[in-house]
Amino acid sequence: MTAGVLDAVLGGLAGQRALRHLGLALLGIALALAAAALLVLSSGRNPLVAYASLAAGALGSWDRIAVALNKATPYLLTGAGVALCFRARVMNIGGEGQIALGGLGATAVAMMLPETAAPLLVALALAAGAAAGAAWAGLAAVIRLGRGVHEVLVTLLLNFVGVLVVSEALHGDLGEPGAGFPQSPMLVRAAWLPKLVPGTDLHVGILIAVAAVAVCHAVLWRTPFGFRLRVLGASETAAAYAGVSKARTFFAVMAVAGGLAGVAGAIDVLGVHYRLIDGFSHGFGFAALSIALIGGLNPIGVLPAGLFFGFLEAGALAMQRAVGVPSPLVAVIQGLTMVFILAAMALPGRRGAQ
Amino acid sequence: MLRMEGIDKSYGAVRANRAIDLRVEAGRIVGLLGENGSGKTTLMNVLFGMVRADAGRITFRGRPLHPTSPREAIAAGIGMIHQHFMLVPAMSVTENVMLGWKEVGVWLRPGIVAEQIRAAGRAWGLEVDPDAVVGDLPLGRQQRVEILKAVLRGAELLILDEPTSNLSPPEVAALLDFLRRFRDEGRAVVFISHKLGEVLDLCDEVVVLRDGETVGARPVAGASRADLAHLMVGRDVGASAAWAPRAAGAEVLLVADLHGRDAAGVERLRGVSFSVREGEILAIAGVDGNGQAELVEALGGLVPPSAGRIHVDGADLTTEGIGARLSAGVAHVPADRASTGLVGEMTLAENLALRDVGRPPFRRGPWLDAAATRAVARERMGRFGILAAGLDAPARTLSGGNQQKVILAREIGRRPRLLLAAQPTRGLDPGATRFVIEQVLALRDAGAAVLYVSTELEEVLAVADRIGVMCGGRLVGMMWRDEADLGRIGLMMAGALDETPDAERLYGVRG
Repeated sequence: MTAGVLDAVLGGLAGQRALRHLGLALLGIALALAAAALLVLSSGRNPLVAYASLAAGALGSWDRIAVALNKATPYLLTGAGVALCFRARVMNIGGEGQIALGGLGATAVAMMLPETAAPLLVALALAAGAAAGAAWAGLAAVIRLGRGVHEVLVTLLLNFVGVLVVSEALHGDLGEPGAGFPQSPMLVRAAWLPKLVPGTDLHVGILIAVAAVAVCHAVLWRTPFGFRLRVLGASETAAAYAGVSKARTFFAVMAVAGGLAGVAGAIDVLGVHYRLIDGFSHGFGFAALSIALIGGLNPIGVLPAGLFFGFLEAGALAMQRAVGVPSPLVAVIQGLTMVFILAAMALPGRRGAQ
Repeated sequence: MLRMEGIDKSYGAVRANRAIDLRVEAGRIVGLLGENGSGKTTLMNVLFGMVRADAGRITFRGRPLHPTSPREAIAAGIGMIHQHFMLVPAMSVTENVMLGWKEVGVWLRPGIVAEQIRAAGRAWGLEVDPDAVVGDLPLGRQQRVEILKAVLRGAELLILDEPTSNLSPPEVAALLDFLRRFRDEGRAVVFISHKLGEVLDLCDEVVVLRDGETVGARPVAGASRADLAHLMVGRDVGASAAWAPRAAGAEVLLVADLHGRDAAGVERLRGVSFSVREGEILAIAGVDGNGQAELVEALGGLVPPSAGRIHVDGADLTTEGIGARLSAGVAHVPADRASTGLVGEMTLAENLALRDVGRPPFRRGPWLDAAATRAVARERMGRFGILAAGLDAPARTLSGGNQQKVILAREIGRRPRLLLAAQPTRGLDPGATRFVIEQVLALRDAGAAVLYVSTELEEVLAVADRIGVMCGGRLVGMMWRDEADLGRIGLMMAGALDETPDAERLYGVRG
């Protein structure tokens, strides 16, 4: 991930040409599926059968759809925050650490206040997750603004620190005594996210995520704050002239993105595992980068991109069981999709000259 | 040497070039004139292989030439000096010259290239240190690097697009000298400029474009400035806009002993004090780089001054940010319109709201009011005659003159108490220049105070109620309009005359 890629993406996104981007995204997905099909073929299996089992695993039943939506939830939250950051040319790649801290914050609150009544405890734990994620991203912003260390480095390195902070907590006070693995004890039921559809695994997290995406979209395109983000991302000198405080905007957008990632971590703990598990945030942060880019750095575009990733992952194990194609193939598809879309975006639309 | 015939080029519905003919003989300098958006740049981009023509033929040195890339045009013997240099600022002069040069071969031999740069520099009067880092060089030197690149690649025809707009008078003189020598060697030059004085001085003939068509081609001998201006604009452009006497009112801007440094920490502003009053234009003359830019940036709130005070209507704004200045009614037309005054990737409507989105009518509650934003934009487009494909056209697609109109529309449209205008007509054609000056005068007539910085003396004389001259970061002279004396101002600009101005002139109180 370099500033050059971001330049190409932001350059390709002048204005709000969502339709053109949607076309590019579909093309990128099609090419990625085709390329991955070659990989499947080369291992002597039928790609159509593999993709059919992938689709069945993701969409084959209400249960499978519920799993896919649960998987998509953290992607939507984190991806929407990353999209806002990148719009402002703030290169936040610290999603993983922010998710980790969010999960830690939610767990800590749920373990400290086990007597609290259900809806309140969930709300408090989610808020704690948001606060912890925002604080972690805010710390990165403070280091960036105060010491001038580039945010790519700061957020990347804080990912390692954040994951280790969680690990440290699980080896200490938050750990489950006697468990063979660094994880917290099961949280009290009052802290579990309510189910959205009884009888399935689907929890209310997806509603929170979709609402967050919608709010981010409105903020980016319909508020003065979003306008300032876009000006800052387009030209730092013009932003200064327009009276946009770089420090304030940088800090704010980092805190927002960190808060969303923190909520993602909290939801994963409260809705899926019901406990904090060492390394639970692994890979989420970077997938969120891909999703933000595939979504055209548009929160509303993050919605299909995040769902796509969630469905791929939900179907991956089914595909492995049915056809014997290893489930990491979906990671290949995810990666290729991003590469193809970025490549397509870098193709200039014909630039109008004088 | 060069013959372009029937060149056609359209961008969508816009016909940028229509059947344009251009002939350039060896040993001649041809001035290519035209207003912003008249098709000059498109025509030259066609010749240089950056744009493909829809129709037309080009022959260069007896052979057909239809370059599909600048590389082919360069190989054929064409060199182009763009208005914005195509250099890598972080690399040395030698490295920049080697960049993309076929004859360098497989192995880089910077010593040999550096020697070639020195030799060519001596031969052509374009001396430049081959080891200097390009970003550290003043613009005049950077331009020499661009010219040396072209000359060393064997250019027989040089195209220069607005080459003098960022140069000081001595640098301009040196450039014109070089171009004459280049011509006298039997090569040829296409000189694109809005500065009719330079065109008359340098060129052998001129070709004038208007709305994508050739509207005139004539020898320069015997032509007057008015003839050329008339050809360009298609109507008479009055020499000076309608300045009329007007009594100045209360003091709006008061600057006391202002000091400022540039990004490198060099002191560029060394103690400047003056005031500007209601209904008054204080024009600051001076050669570029004598502290005017730092003065306007400090007043506009872009760079805090290192010492001194700035008051607007009695309120101390020295340490306040842009927001406080906007609230105090300070408007600012920055010198760098493309990257500071506008956001090229954002739409025309957004750019018209750029500095005001936090205030009504653009904001309603927590939201941007899209309908009001568009209504304001539509009104400003009409009032300022902004030509664009629509409210949603990205600002970068507008011509230079229209970009400047967007900035003026935004800044003047806010009905400011004080307008800071830095080089507001730089790079604009006579029609657009006149428009800008008229708008500034109208604002002053309506009672606003205006600080107008320009390196064009004619313009200063046309708009000013009072004239200040800056040299070396100080005000070396200040005079009333009726005292203006070109000779004296010239000496002051050159640093040969330093009158410490008296309080009466500095603060605009006529006894």
